[in-house]
Amino acid sequence: MTASQVLFYAISTVILGSGILAVTSQRIFRSAIWLLLCLVGIAGLYFWMQVEFIAAVQIVVYVGGIVVLIIFSIFLTQESGKELPKPIMRRTVFALLATLFGFAFTYNLVYGHGFAAPTGEAFNVSVAEIGTQMLSTTNNGYILPFEVVSMLLLSAMIGCIVIAMKPPSNKNAGADMLFAQDVPGTRLITPGVVEPDLISEEV
Amino acid sequence: MAFLTYCQCYTAVHQHNTEPLNGWRKGIAATTNQEPNIRLAMFLKDYIVDIFRATKSLLTGMKRTGYYFVHPKEIITEQYPDNRDTLVMADRFRGEVIMPHDENREHACTGCTACELACPNATIKIVTKFDITPEGKKKKALDTFVYHLELCTMCGLCVEACPTDAIKMGQKFEHSVYDRSMLTKKLNLPGSKIREGIE
Amino acid sequence: MFSLQGITNSIQTWLVRNFTGTWVLVIECAIVMLLAITLFAVLGLVLVWMERKVAAHMQIRLGPNRVGPMGIFQTSADTLKLILKEGLTPDGADKLLFNLAPFVVMIVAMLLLAPIAFARGFQVWDINIGVLYITAISSLSVIGILMAGWASNNKYSLLGAMRSGAQIVSYELSAGLSILTIVVLTGSLQIGDIINAQQNGWWLFKGHIPVVIAFVIFMIAATAETNRAPFDLAEAESELTAGFHTEYSGMKFALFFLAEYINIFIVCAIGATLFLGGWMPLHIGSWEGFNHVMDYIPSSVWFFVKTFLLIFLMMWFRWTFPRLRVDQLLSLEWKYLLPISLFNLLLATVVAIFEWHF
Repeated sequence: MTASQVLFYAISTVILGSGILAVTSQRIFRSAIWLLLCLVGIAGLYFWMQVEFIAAVQIVVYVGGIVVLIIFSIFLTQESGKELPKPIMRRTVFALLATLFGFAFTYNLVYGHGFAAPTGEAFNVSVAEIGTQMLSTTNNGYILPFEVVSMLLLSAMIGCIVIAMKPPSNKNAGADMLFAQDVPGTRLITPGVVEPDLISEEV
Repeated sequence: MAFLTYCQCYTAVHQHNTEPLNGWRKGIAATTNQEPNIRLAMFLKDYIVDIFRATKSLLTGMKRTGYYFVHPKEIITEQYPDNRDTLVMADRFRGEVIMPHDENREHACTGCTACELACPNATIKIVTKFDITPEGKKKKALDTFVYHLELCTMCGLCVEACPTDAIKMGQKFEHSVYDRSMLTKKLNLPGSKIREGIE
Repeated sequence: MFSLQGITNSIQTWLVRNFTGTWVLVIECAIVMLLAITLFAVLGLVLVWMERKVAAHMQIRLGPNRVGPMGIFQTSADTLKLILKEGLTPDGADKLLFNLAPFVVMIVAMLLLAPIAFARGFQVWDINIGVLYITAISSLSVIGILMAGWASNNKYSLLGAMRSGAQIVSYELSAGLSILTIVVLTGSLQIGDIINAQQNGWWLFKGHIPVVIAFVIFMIAATAETNRAPFDLAEAESELTAGFHTEYSGMKFALFFLAEYINIFIVCAIGATLFLGGWMPLHIGSWEGFNHVMDYIPSSVWFFVKTFLLIFLMMWFRWTFPRLRVDQLLSLEWKYLLPISLFNLLLATVVAIFEWHF
């Protein structure tokens, strides 16, 4: 067994082990930390495959973004420090069955795919190459999905601002009017629907 | 993720719109009644002026600390046990109550107990006696000026109350002793008496 | 001339001659680990002492001056004290996470060391996504702080961790955007390329307006990301006792304390690399004689001088400015730094496209 293989099995053990711990842990915060370790392990696997860009993006998006978000929501949840109740038997059985089915399905797909033997030539994963591919309008370019995703994110962003905005009050109505005019649809929000105070207090 | 935090933070920020950093909102509030492009121009002007002022005030502060950093002679630290011989206390430093005596072992205390009455925590206890004047009259005089240093807060009210300036605040501050009773002091020297002419 | 590159090269050739491929890698890993730990220990001792001295002089005091000449052994004495102290774990704490958190913070700091070029040819890993790697890994450090705050089971710790999380997550954006300015100008994410692009002048001088703005924003964001005053809300002593590390004592506290200073060193090293040319000596255009003289100063000296200059700047900030309030902190980021750095990125792109830089 070469050192590379040893590393692969070590990383895989970390991923699988922390993945199992993430779903079996009785404490919600520990689950989040195990999930974090699992995602870091996947980033490690990407590093092992020498696709550094994907690895870094994995860390930025999943670890730096999503797990931090999860941890924040745990912090803001009441009684999240207590141990979770044991899941009922029926649910566990069905979850196990679902997992087995998913595993069998994936295994079947992977087994039947028939991977081509590695050709030996390293594929180009430089950032410049990825960037060009992402914005290229030619045959293999990803410009359309890229732009669609950008639009989705932009609308999500505007939606966030709209939800988080304080409904205009009488005291400083003038200050809020500008925002109301700038963002279409803001006037539909009536006072009382949005409670920004609930989320803002803790931060 | 960052975005959600932004939303939370945004609402948090939203509730304080009288803050110095909130030029953004102030600018808007002040100019709501004007044309949109004028409003924008005013807002941008306020925004930039805000940044300029903030930078200027921060640099002023850094200039001051930077000046201190490169001027070691400004350092005011007293390296106390090492400089005991040369240590000069400030004039108004209040270390303890003392009763000055002149070269004839005479003090200016009449035993009027004004200081005792003025003391907020019963630090001073004055024991009086009656002297016989040459005319054969009895006259109240100081026997013992008892001063409890351990109770004293060095407030100086006794000194202010004294009508004859018999006591004042001394500058000695090394008062640590092994026994608490040693802190109870008699301020008038043994055998001292009141100076002539002080009533 | 003394050269770190020569030493690393000779070690490499000696190892390759005497061992097989895997063992060379293992031994080199061990050497790197040893060097990293030594660097951390030395940096901790030096930076804490430096901080106390700088603080004292800015406040017209003397600072530590009893243990050794100028008090240079003060931090060693403090470390000894911390080693001898008991590391308490509170009863209600989540023991596993509580004990893990300081190590997470330290490991993240160690990972960040990898792409930093300490001297010409003296770099652990010149990864082709260098700057992105740094941005990615530094976002991990918040996890350790959140873990510590949660596991302590203490309201001060939790509040400190929450503040720290909000702060790091938001200031990461403007730090990333100001780093991107340099990436746009250089056209590469690799640290080696970025340094080589500054052969004929540092970006701070070559890139004029956009880079100067980016530098200022980077320094502010770096101060905030390392949770230092005026952005030390996460451990605001007057409000939260000690913030997320309230419950920590002994060596575990020392690890947090050390990690803070290591992080300062790392962000300043990154700032020095991106804006001040890393180990690249000061070269001025076509002054051959001057450039030649500058080349005689070893590259490691250049790197450390620049880094410590930036560290001094951050200490200067810390001992001059009062602490921001939470809402001020966030409005500074979202209403000032972020819009400005977005605009600045646009400006930098224009400058890069039309090659208006020198």
